[in-house]
Amino acid sequence: MGTLLGVDMKPENTKNVFINGIEQFFRFLILIIVSIFTAFPFIWMVISSLKTKKEIMDVAVLFPPNPKWGNFLYILTKSPIPKYIFNSFAVTILIVSIQIITGAMITYAIVFLKFKGRHTLFAIIMGTYMLPVAATYIPSYIILANWNLLNHFSGLVISSTVSIFGIFLLRQSFMQIPKGLVEAARMDGGSNFRILWEIVCPMTKSSFITFGLMSFISTYNNYMWPSLITNDENKYMVSQGIRSFFIEGGAYGTKWQLVMAGSAVIVIPLLIMFAFTQKWFINGIGGDTGMKG
Amino acid sequence: MKKTGISKESKIKDTGVILLFVLPALIPLIIFWIYPIICSMWISFTNWDFMTPEYKFVFLNNYISLFKDKRFYEALLNTGIFTIGTMVPTILGGLLLALLLQKNFKGNGFFKFILFSPWITPSVAISIVWTWIFQPEDGIANMILGFFHLPALKWMSSSQTAMISVIIVTVWKSLGYAMIFYLTALQRVSHELYEASSMDGAGKWRQFKDMTLPLISPTTFFLMIITMVNSLQAYDQIQILTQGGPSGSTSTLLYMYYQLGFEEFNMGKATAVAVIMILITVILSFIQFFASKKWVHY
Repeated sequence: MGTLLGVDMKPENTKNVFINGIEQFFRFLILIIVSIFTAFPFIWMVISSLKTKKEIMDVAVLFPPNPKWGNFLYILTKSPIPKYIFNSFAVTILIVSIQIITGAMITYAIVFLKFKGRHTLFAIIMGTYMLPVAATYIPSYIILANWNLLNHFSGLVISSTVSIFGIFLLRQSFMQIPKGLVEAARMDGGSNFRILWEIVCPMTKSSFITFGLMSFISTYNNYMWPSLITNDENKYMVSQGIRSFFIEGGAYGTKWQLVMAGSAVIVIPLLIMFAFTQKWFINGIGGDTGMKG
Repeated sequence: MKKTGISKESKIKDTGVILLFVLPALIPLIIFWIYPIICSMWISFTNWDFMTPEYKFVFLNNYISLFKDKRFYEALLNTGIFTIGTMVPTILGGLLLALLLQKNFKGNGFFKFILFSPWITPSVAISIVWTWIFQPEDGIANMILGFFHLPALKWMSSSQTAMISVIIVTVWKSLGYAMIFYLTALQRVSHELYEASSMDGAGKWRQFKDMTLPLISPTTFFLMIITMVNSLQAYDQIQILTQGGPSGSTSTLLYMYYQLGFEEFNMGKATAVAVIMILITVILSFIQFFASKKWVHY
């Protein structure tokens, strides 16, 4: 229909399509460039880990013609790296479980139990959140030394039983629960433990998952504190372990292909895990900044 | 909770319950957070050397010797450069990426996955990879520069470029994190925007400047504090990439603290640095908090 309106709309439509096309093009261009920059270290790590000693020193060889999977075999069977991964994994699972329990309980008390000083308590916890954790390391080191817990996994565990970040995250979602619901359960004679376990936890499941994953990542990757309290090579966590594996090559030239294979063995499982849990990180992190929008 | 007349017994029970819920977190928090911070302040007034049990109270001597130490001012300056050098690109880059990914389109989730992935990987392992990339002789970074006919750099082995190298790695790691925060903020804003701006036909840039930016300012404010605190605590990448060198060019306050405390065993001076770091965090938080009242729109 050749109405006035239709005629008028036509040029504008093509113009819009054109502009949208350009916009799309630049959107993808920038995203692709930044993504290549972001993914590049991972890609280069994997490519380098498949090279021979000779290929790796020759910058001109971008891709190894015959990928040397043997480097990975060496890391998995002859290097201490699998041991470090096991150490980190076991210690981290334990720490995260404890942090979830202590965090859920104190948050429940702050949000649902009325007692004097609970606001002060939360203010103190909030205050410590900002402070540089390293400032606590020297006295904490002395405490563990006095308790003879240096070089013990238990020293690492008991010094990491609380996650301040986790308390924030949980508080944020506990506050969303209608107070009446908890009151009613109490009237029915439910104990606080049962209310926490059967009402509060199921309703805030997603923040528990986010908390668990975030805490897993930061504990698993942690370097400074574990490396300060451990010098027994059998008890290294991954970060300290891969560093010592890296340093060992030392003065006579680092065996980069093996160092890269070692890094890949540590990094790739984390990337795979992230691929499956992405939404918990992305929704959880952005959603809980504790601010009104 | 309703209290009845016979509540003395139940009050004791209540207190018991509260303690039971609070103490499992509070005791470790006191032992490994609050006590150490107070203890650090005390140690900073002594000349304790860790090896011997004796020490003397020297009051402000550690602080005075720090303020006379050239190394301290270098570390302070390096911390400032590092903080601003990471904060500005992280926040601007994170915002740009969030704006580009805001609309839903095919491949959107894949980009988010790639861009956020550095954040979950261990900084130590990944800094080792970057060390390899930055090798002056056989590293790929210089080859890429050569491809664009740019001069090769010495990266971490020159005091002129070492800090830039550390900043690149840090921004690389934290960009996706900032992006996620902005994505959430933009999502919240977009509803309000639809209603307000479609009627007055405002240009896209004006709309962004006058509406979006103020509406997401709480997130910007939050990210500024978080990146600042993180920069002040950066250790892993510095330890792997440069160990504070060459000639102290990447030694930050935290790294100086580590060297004084755990390499030189000068516990008094090390804890003095820690106390200064705490003070800086507190002061900057206050400044940002008050400054934010001017430009953050809650």
